[in-house]
Amino acid sequence: MKGWTGNILRVNLTNKTYKKESFNEEFATTWIGGRGFAVKILYDELKPGIDPLGPENKLVVALGPISGIPAPNTGKAVVAAKSPLTGFYGDGNLGSRISEQLRKAGYDALIVEGKAVKPTLLYIEDDKVEFLSAEEVWGKGTYATNDWIYAKYGKGAGVLNIGQGGENLVRYAVVRSLEGRAGGRPGMGAVMGSKLLKAIVVKGTKPIPQANPEAMRALGIGDLKTVHEMDKKSGWTKQSTNAVLAWCNEVAGLPVQNFRKTSHTEAWKIDGERLNDARVATYGCPSCTMKCGITIHDKEGRESELDYENVGLLGSNLNIFELNQVGSLNYLCDEYGLDTMSAGCTLSFYADAIEHGATEGDFKFGDAERAKELLRLAAHREGKVGNLLAEGSLRMAREFGHNSEAYAMQVKGLEVAAYNCKFIPGQALSFGVAAIGAHHREAWIISFELKNTTRESFGPEKAAKVIELQRIRGGMFETLVSCRFPWIEEGWSLENYPKYFNTVTGLNWTLDDMWKVADRIYAMIKLHYIREFPQATRKGDYPPAVWFDPSNSDTEGPIAGKCLDLDKYDKMLQHYYDQRGYDNRGIPTRSLLGKLGLSKEASAVEKYAKLN
Amino acid sequence: MKIIVKLIGPLIYEGGFSEKVLALPGPVTAGKLSALVNIDKKRPTIITRNGKAVTPDDMLENGDRVVISHIYSGG
Repeated sequence: MKGWTGNILRVNLTNKTYKKESFNEEFATTWIGGRGFAVKILYDELKPGIDPLGPENKLVVALGPISGIPAPNTGKAVVAAKSPLTGFYGDGNLGSRISEQLRKAGYDALIVEGKAVKPTLLYIEDDKVEFLSAEEVWGKGTYATNDWIYAKYGKGAGVLNIGQGGENLVRYAVVRSLEGRAGGRPGMGAVMGSKLLKAIVVKGTKPIPQANPEAMRALGIGDLKTVHEMDKKSGWTKQSTNAVLAWCNEVAGLPVQNFRKTSHTEAWKIDGERLNDARVATYGCPSCTMKCGITIHDKEGRESELDYENVGLLGSNLNIFELNQVGSLNYLCDEYGLDTMSAGCTLSFYADAIEHGATEGDFKFGDAERAKELLRLAAHREGKVGNLLAEGSLRMAREFGHNSEAYAMQVKGLEVAAYNCKFIPGQALSFGVAAIGAHHREAWIISFELKNTTRESFGPEKAAKVIELQRIRGGMFETLVSCRFPWIEEGWSLENYPKYFNTVTGLNWTLDDMWKVADRIYAMIKLHYIREFPQATRKGDYPPAVWFDPSNSDTEGPIAGKCLDLDKYDKMLQHYYDQRGYDNRGIPTRSLLGKLGLSKEASAVEKYAKLN
Repeated sequence: MKIIVKLIGPLIYEGGFSEKVLALPGPVTAGKLSALVNIDKKRPTIITRNGKAVTPDDMLENGDRVVISHIYSGG
């Protein structure tokens, strides 16, 4: 078997033991790697109903066959576990040298079990594994922790770490890397914190097995240059992802004031032009050809790296239109190790709930200074408010009552990304059926929807586009594991990816083979979901109720008087189920599971929910 | 007639402006207006008029706000 190391490292923090386990080619080609490995491992090894913040939960760090290979934007890793935010499978990816270093150490995945007695740094160097004290940095933020790690191990190490948010079990705490990246929105940082695992550091020296290393090197190095040149020519990185903010503002798709409004006259103050003007540095992931991390000085003079999601959700969504204040909120989220998107939606929900009388409090939209303090309280679970905010918007809404769940901007517990779908039906569907809860990573169809369909349509063409993009974005890119930006932003052909895969593995796959694995993964995540929530209905695939509320419609602009129609949305959802081969509850049928090679899993899940 | 043209993202640097009012001698389609702006025509774009997507054949009216953007796919 080439292309994979064929090994998984299993570490138990309770016993301070570890072992190298091997997997065969069937496992490798059934799941490819990354998200595929994590989905399968966690399904087989976790018992439904376990506490995601208990020692029974397992953290998986998984890589793909092109991880660590010199090729465009392959420096990514997947982190996964049962989510403390959503209660079922959760994952995320982030740029980190761990993608290369863990593979060079001889592993395609790492499984962390149990719970340490004291704050721990897990150190892996080839075949050596050490359980080292991290007491010196427990209680410190990710920047200080990174400095400490950098001083000890140098810049070349692969690193994952957490801040105070993870330590204090904030349900949307993320994992951060030495490169300043964050991943694992549904609380993967809290899972690390629950295990008293402050950091993972990996160094490897072995060659990564490849079928044709010389050909891959020539191909990859050439393509790195080509994509970099494409980016230089297109100028995408002048504004990077935040170019989208001005466009969303024009087409009534920007989240403003907890998604109550879809545009704002002051949005230009935080748009891509202003971000580019304020730029003091630019950062990217390992093997990056198009560095998207635009860094500015925040209000306090610290470097803060911004992209569209955090500007949209910590900025316009909170009615904050001072870029350096948005930078400050983003810096604090990064320092504490909080997901900027869930943090933004949780704060906006809190302000909205106060405004609507669902709770009492002193936070108002536009109050950046109070927002900073609230992030600190949440990260440390300080006081009643801090503990509430640390739970995320859905749990807060259930605590507040007064029908506030209608405007808690989340699906399945995970807060929505920065696209206001008040009248963007296809994108609303993509949030509704995103595998792990509302996430833009899996399908982003707004520009397709506006350009190639009518915005009013709730037709099958939108369901088909969501599935197409899920296969590409949530399937292929998450299993290989690679960044999608060369493709989506620069037009780098998808055909390059099976080419990389085939060159490193010696196989002869097509994109269709990739889609089969993607469909298997989506079905498997559904099985994770229904064995945790056997009573769940198709309503679990609905976006936030406020988008269906006519009284929340815009009063002016391109979608004045419009909102999503519940019956039409439900029919579009059925199109999605029909095209996927799911039943009316949104559960894969036994027949589909058989075709996907999941008959064994189908039988096992029938203990929890009967399949059709 | 006067049309407000707004460019998005890298098109700003390519076109040499972010937003401006274009004075045109007579009726014009969205496609023709787009051709008047100095941007890479090979790359697909989405054109909106007053916040709604239009085709290249759609006629513009005096006072319209036209936004031209590449097709992005979010973050």
